[in-house]
Amino acid sequence: MFRLQFISFLRSRLAIAGLMIILLTGCISIFTGRQHLKKQQQSVAMTELQQQQHIQRNVQFFQKEMGLLLYYLRFGLANETSALNALSMGQRDVNSGVQSLTIRGLENQRYDTDLFNPASLLAGNLDFNFVLIYLFPLLIVAFTYNLLSEEKELGTWKLVSAQSSRPVRVLWQKLLVRIAVVAGALVTLLMFAAVVVPVPIDAAFFAAAMIALMYLLSWFAISGWIVSLGKNSNVSAAALLGIWIMLVFVVPGAVNNFLVKKYAVPEAMATVVEQREGYHEKWDMDQQPTLDKFYRHYPQFKKYGQPDSSFSWLWYYAMQQLGDDDAREHTDAMYRKLHQREDASASIARWFPSLHAQHQLNSIAGSGLRNQLLFLQRAAAFHEQKRLFFYPLIFDNAPVKSVDWHRFGMEYFSEEVNLNWLNMLLPFVLTIGLFTGLAWWRLRKSISSLQ
Amino acid sequence: MRKNTLFLFARQGFSKAFAGRANKVLMCVLSMLIVYATWNGLSAYTQQTAIRKTYEREVRHNWEKMPDKHPHRMAHYGYLAIRPKHPLSFFDLGMESYTGNIIFLEAHKQNSANFSEAGMSTGLLRFGEISIAMILQVLLPLVLFFIGFSTIAGDRENGTLKILLSQGASWKEIIFGKSIGLLAVAMVFLLPVIALLLVVCMAIGEASADVLSRIGWLMLFFLLYYAIVSLVAVLISGISRTAKLSLVSLIGIWLLFTIITPRTTQAIGGWLHPAPSRIAFESGIEKELIKKGDSHDPDDPYYKALKDSVLRANQVDSVQQLSFNYSGFQMREGERISAEIYNRHLKNLMQIYSQQNRVSAISSFIDPFIALRNISMASSGTDFISYTHFQQQAEDYRYRLAQHMNELQIKLISNDKKASQQISREFWKSLPALDFRPLSHSEVLRQEWISVSALLGWVLGLTLVVLIFSGKFKSV
Repeated sequence: MFRLQFISFLRSRLAIAGLMIILLTGCISIFTGRQHLKKQQQSVAMTELQQQQHIQRNVQFFQKEMGLLLYYLRFGLANETSALNALSMGQRDVNSGVQSLTIRGLENQRYDTDLFNPASLLAGNLDFNFVLIYLFPLLIVAFTYNLLSEEKELGTWKLVSAQSSRPVRVLWQKLLVRIAVVAGALVTLLMFAAVVVPVPIDAAFFAAAMIALMYLLSWFAISGWIVSLGKNSNVSAAALLGIWIMLVFVVPGAVNNFLVKKYAVPEAMATVVEQREGYHEKWDMDQQPTLDKFYRHYPQFKKYGQPDSSFSWLWYYAMQQLGDDDAREHTDAMYRKLHQREDASASIARWFPSLHAQHQLNSIAGSGLRNQLLFLQRAAAFHEQKRLFFYPLIFDNAPVKSVDWHRFGMEYFSEEVNLNWLNMLLPFVLTIGLFTGLAWWRLRKSISSLQ
Repeated sequence: MRKNTLFLFARQGFSKAFAGRANKVLMCVLSMLIVYATWNGLSAYTQQTAIRKTYEREVRHNWEKMPDKHPHRMAHYGYLAIRPKHPLSFFDLGMESYTGNIIFLEAHKQNSANFSEAGMSTGLLRFGEISIAMILQVLLPLVLFFIGFSTIAGDRENGTLKILLSQGASWKEIIFGKSIGLLAVAMVFLLPVIALLLVVCMAIGEASADVLSRIGWLMLFFLLYYAIVSLVAVLISGISRTAKLSLVSLIGIWLLFTIITPRTTQAIGGWLHPAPSRIAFESGIEKELIKKGDSHDPDDPYYKALKDSVLRANQVDSVQQLSFNYSGFQMREGERISAEIYNRHLKNLMQIYSQQNRVSAISSFIDPFIALRNISMASSGTDFISYTHFQQQAEDYRYRLAQHMNELQIKLISNDKKASQQISREFWKSLPALDFRPLSHSEVLRQEWISVSALLGWVLGLTLVVLIFSGKFKSV
C-alpha cells in the first residue's frame, strides 16, 4: 500500500515539477554560497599579502621615527568564515570579515563596511537559507494542501472511508510519502553542499541539518492541521499561503521594526562625533591635562613624564587614545543596545519557526549579529594589544630595526559556537506537537461524526 | 465594445469582491497593515530626521567654533556628511536600511558611509521590511489575484459563461469589463493611500512642487501596475479550465514575479559582473598611487622632480625662499592626484554595480513588479541612484574642503617653521556648509526610463493580447 502511494505520488506532474524546481534552485544556491565563501577567503588572503608588502615598504621609508612609522602601519584581523557560511550567508555580505587597523583612534576605524551594491542586499541572497525558509514550505504546501479535499472533491474519500476501517491511516500514509520525498530532497541538497562547497560533516553541520529538517516538519504539521479542517482545496491553499506570507513577510518585518525602534542606536552617530571632537580638541589645549589623563588610563607609562618639545609622539598618541576614551560612554551604550537587540530577537524568534530557523542557522554559521559584535569586540582587544606593544617602543623611540617586523602577520578570530540542542530544537518540537495534536483531534472528531 | 456592458461587468466584479466573508477579512487585514506601515514609516522618518538634523547642526557648529590653527589641522579635523532622509522615504523604505548614513570627510582619504541599519541589524532585516509601498506592490496584487481568479473560470464552471456569451456579450467586453472591476478594487486601496501621502507631506511641511509631482506620478505608475495585475488575473482565469487551476497558476505567477525573479536576476547580475571586495578595490588604488609617486617617500622621484621644477621656475634654491608655502603646494598636488585616481576607481566600481542593476532593470520586461519597485524607490529617494548621488556630493565636498585648506596654507602659512603656523578662525566660516541636493523628479524619471517603458509595454502587450486572441477563448 505504502509503495503504491509512493508511485502514485511520484507520477503526478506537480510532484516532479516541484521537486525539479527545488533541486535546481537548491543547487544554484549552493554554488552562490560557494562563490561567497571564496570571495571571503580571497579577501583575507589578499589582506595578508598586502600587509606584508605594506609593512616592508613603510619600514623602509620611516627608519628613523617609530612614532611616524606606526602612524601608517596597519594590522589585520580576520573573522574566520566557517564553511557553513556558504549555506547561510546571513549578515556576512554586509559586514566586513577583515579589520585592518592602525594603532591610532579605534572608533573611527572599526565600523568601515565592506563594499557592496545596496540593490543586491535589498534583493536578498539566493543562498540555501532562502531555498529552505521560503521555497521548501511552498513545496510542502503544494504537496499537501489538497490531501483530503482532493479525495472529497473527486468523490474518492467516501470509497476510502467505506473500504478502510481506519481512513485516517490512508491520509497518514499519503502524508508520510510526501514527508519522505521532501526530506529526501533536503538530504540530497545537503549532501551536494557537503561535496561541492565542501562543508565538513561535523556536529555543526549535523545541527544545521536537524534544524532544517525540523523546520520542514513544522510546516508539514501546520499544513496537516489546515487539511484536517476539511475545507475545500481553494480555501486550504489560500489559508496556507496566508500563513506563509505571515511567517516570511509580515511577522519578521514587524518584529524587526519593533527591535529597531525599541533599541534605537542614536549612539552610533554620537560615537563618531564624540571621538572626532575628543581627539581634535586636544590639539588646541595644553599638553599637560591630556598627558595626565593618559597616565591615569595607563599608569605604567608615567615614567615618560612630560616631553619638552611642542610636538612629541607621546602627546600625539595620548590625544588619539583620549578620542576613544571620550567616546567610550556612547560606544558602551551602543554595544549594550545591540546585544539587547540580538537577545530580544533570539527570544522572539522562538515563537515563529521561520525566524527561529534563520536565527539558529545564522548563529551556527557565525553570520548573525552576535558574531559581528564579538568580532568587533575582539578587534578592540586586538587593537589594545598592539597599542600596548608599540607604545613603549614609540615613547623610547626605539630603533625601527630592533623589531622583527615579519612576525606581524594576519591574526584570526573565530567564534566558539556552542550547540545548545534543546534551545535549537525545542521550539520546533513544540510547534510540531501542537499542530499535529490539533490535526489529530480535528480528524478524530470529523470521522466520528461521519460514522 | 459597448460602454454599458463594460460598465455592467465592471460593477458586478467590483461588488462581488466585497461579498464573501473571506474577502472582507482579507481587505480588513490589508487596511490594518497599511495603517501600521504608515505609522511605522512615519515615526522612523521623524525619529531619524530629528537625530540627523541635530548632528548636522552640531557638526557645523563645532566646525565654526574651532579656534585659530594650522589649516591642515582643519583638513584633518574634517567634516561629517550626514545623509538626510527623503520625505517620501516613509512611503517606500527602499534601500535605506542598507546604505550608510554618515561619512567622515578628511584630507587624503575617502572613507566609507558607515552605520547602516543593516550593519547593526539581526538577520531579521533580510526577510524584508514592511512599508506602504511593499504592501501595495506585493500584497495587494495577491489579494487581487484571490478576488479575480474565479471571475471567468468560475462562470465557466457553473455554466454562466455560456449564457453570457449567447446573450451577446463579447469576450472583449467580458475581459475588459471584469479587469476594470478588479482595477476599481485596487483603487479602493490606492486612492486613500495617495490622499494619505498628500496629507502627511503637508503635515510635515514637505509638500513642495517636486514632492507633489512625485506623488502624482507614483499614482499613475501604480495605476498602470494594477491594470497589468487585473488583466493578468482575468486572462489567466479566462484560459483556465477550472477555477482551481486558475488560482494555482496565479499564485505561481505571483511567486515568480515578486519573490523569485527579483532575487534571481540580481544574483545573475552579480554573477555576470563580479564586483571587487574592499581590499581588492583599495589595493588597486594604492598600487596606482605608488606608481604615480609616493608622497611619503622622501626620495620619491615624482615629488623630487616637482620640487626641482618649482624651485627652477621661481629661480630660488630652497623652498624657504619661496613666496608661498611649499608643503601646502605639494599637498594640493597630492590631493589632486589621489582624488583623481580614487574617483576613477570609484567610477569603475559604480559602473559594475550599475551593470548588475541593469540586468535586473531589463528583466522588468519579463517581470512588471521589478519595474514598479524601481520606479517607486527612485521616486521616494531611496534607490541606488539617489544614494550614489549623495556619496558623490560628499566626495566633492571633501575635495573642496581639503583643497580650500591647502590654498589657505599656500597663501597664509610661512615656509619658516619658526614663524606662526596658525591662521585665524574667521577663515573656517568661509567654507560653506554641506548642502545636500537630492535629484529632481524629472532627472529621476529619466534615469528610470527602462522601467517606465517596461510598464507601458506590459499594458500595451496585454491589451493587444485581449484584442487579438480573445476570439480563440473557449466557453467550456
